[in-house]
Amino acid sequence: MTEGARIALAVGAALALGFLVMACVTDQPWAAFRALVTGPLPSMERAADGRLVMHRLVRFGAWLQDATTLTLVGLAIAIPFRARQFSLGADGQLFMGALAAAALSLGLGDVPAAIALPLAFLAAAMAGAAWGLAAGLLKTRFEANEIVTTLMLNVVAVQVYRLIVGRVLNDPTAGFITTPPLPGAATLGPLIARTNVTAMVLVAPAAVAAVVFLLRRTTLGYEIDLAGANPWFAARAGVPVARATVLAFALGGAFAGLAGFHVSNALLKRLPVDLTPGMGLEGIVVALLARGRVAALPLAALGYAYLRVGAQAMERATDVPREVVLVIQALIILFVVSDRLAPLALGSLRRVWMRIGRTA
Amino acid sequence: MNLDLVATGTAAAVVAAATLRAATPILFASLGGLISELAGCINVALEGVMLVAAFAGVITSAYSTLWFPDAPLWLHPWLGCAAGLLAGTALAGLLAVFHLELGADLIVAGIGLNILAQGLTVLLMAHLTGDKGSTASLASFALPSLRWPGIGAVPVLGVLLNGDEDTGHNVLVYVAMAATGLIAWALRHTVFGLRLRATGENAEAALAAGLPVRRLRYAGLLLSGLLASGGGVFLGMGYLTLFQADMAAGRGYLALAAVFLGGRRPLGTVVAALVFGAASVTAARLGQLAVPAEVVFMIPPLVTIAALVLVKQHQRLATRRRAAAGRAALLSP
Repeated sequence: MTEGARIALAVGAALALGFLVMACVTDQPWAAFRALVTGPLPSMERAADGRLVMHRLVRFGAWLQDATTLTLVGLAIAIPFRARQFSLGADGQLFMGALAAAALSLGLGDVPAAIALPLAFLAAAMAGAAWGLAAGLLKTRFEANEIVTTLMLNVVAVQVYRLIVGRVLNDPTAGFITTPPLPGAATLGPLIARTNVTAMVLVAPAAVAAVVFLLRRTTLGYEIDLAGANPWFAARAGVPVARATVLAFALGGAFAGLAGFHVSNALLKRLPVDLTPGMGLEGIVVALLARGRVAALPLAALGYAYLRVGAQAMERATDVPREVVLVIQALIILFVVSDRLAPLALGSLRRVWMRIGRTA
Repeated sequence: MNLDLVATGTAAAVVAAATLRAATPILFASLGGLISELAGCINVALEGVMLVAAFAGVITSAYSTLWFPDAPLWLHPWLGCAAGLLAGTALAGLLAVFHLELGADLIVAGIGLNILAQGLTVLLMAHLTGDKGSTASLASFALPSLRWPGIGAVPVLGVLLNGDEDTGHNVLVYVAMAATGLIAWALRHTVFGLRLRATGENAEAALAAGLPVRRLRYAGLLLSGLLASGGGVFLGMGYLTLFQADMAAGRGYLALAAVFLGGRRPLGTVVAALVFGAASVTAARLGQLAVPAEVVFMIPPLVTIAALVLVKQHQRLATRRRAAAGRAALLSP
């Protein structure tokens, strides 16, 4: 069976089970399911004068925005995974990236966009990379389990973020705890009216293409793959395994930092103190759906963002909490990684089918 | 002078009692993590197991008054406890099935089950109480506390054994201590413990020696689920008397860190769990001073990272010393 069909089957099964859960908690499961499945699409209507009018562009924009963030966060998980490292640290790297981009944008003040934007972009990437580098060094120098250290570094990053946003960059006139609005020159303008879909929507696939090139065509990419495939052999063959591992962490962190730049300088344009953590874990789902294939990340991110935006539409339209998507997400993860599930399910289906055929 | 000593002792006892209380859920979960880790299966789902157990315990104890209105009052918390243990163990069983039968990667499946637990508990809580934050609107029960009679007046010992409010420690605190001793003994001195460790040490050799590796791994994961459930039940029916969304708050991952920190040994794991408990108590105490809350919240994770580094450094030095001693012994005539 091809990989794509397997994943489609897993997602379909997860959606079906998710529907069952929805049916348990609401009287209107069909309406909820429809909102979930059609929520992110814009609707076209023929206006009185015969022109086509697009509605709900905001949600369509939210879909593309979400997919952009998810692609970048997915890279942050997928690159270390090429070196067989389970980094769960995209969250902290994203927070550090957003913080660095916003702090630099505010610090620069009134400068032309040609200076402010690239600098903020770089600052975000560097901050994320530094946070990833820390986890990488802890792993290679001290053999500290990377699942534990990245999770701990996430907590530290979120607290550093809250400390600085709340006590250093705080805007006292805002009425809630947040940074002042970022200067206009440092923020990205929308490509689609009334949404926050910015040039970052093009940066994400470009980043994916760059990483694909790096992994396939450069020495470093080869070393990362080799360090993941067989570290013992790689070390014997003279590959600097530790260096490749650390760089995989740092590189992943840089892209999570860019996701932070996307959040601060494109989506929100100011940083609230209670920015919700958890985007990093979503990156795991995206990386999983792509089955570790970097080139498939944008597709996986689009699919998964569709589900997330649909869930928000569902929560607004019905009484089903959006947490139902957590359940569906978990089921997708479980079904996708269960290699023996699909053959087992298909096999038993076939047996049932044959028994029905025999009795008939 | 003498009064000073008593005051200091009492303050220390208050901190020690609070540490014990804060460490109990981590202790339960880390013992579970240790058992499955020794069986060769890292259990990342400890966090989800605790959540599910806390939720099932709280909800069952609250609804038990509706289902069994004639039952004596003391029965309800114990029904909740049983339901919590069952639900948490079932989640660990699910992890075992997905890993051992369906070939799922253990770490990814564990993360998946954590997300499932997080989603399901909030979903069901919203459905049952109409509130996505906590079950404060339900009247749930706490498991009883054990109070040592007649020592309330003894200066330091009274505070240590009965807590600073003289109500005694929750029964699960004592269960955690008993479980620690039992597990340390069983891993070392029973056939089951030996086989479990052999499975984790070298699965192929264990299989060649005729051990039922798959069944032992099931046992390891189910036991770890049972123990972590104890921690979850304590959170919902001892530490607090309600369920909150995301109640485990990373304790499952801390427990995992405790296992590695303790060098995968029972005593080390317990010490690490106590250190984490002490770190969270210190954080709470510092929070009452002028230290910003954000800095306080950074303490437990930073302690974890520092401890992981220090333990590795220590092991490295010890290995080097042993190697040097070995060389010296070889070279001496």
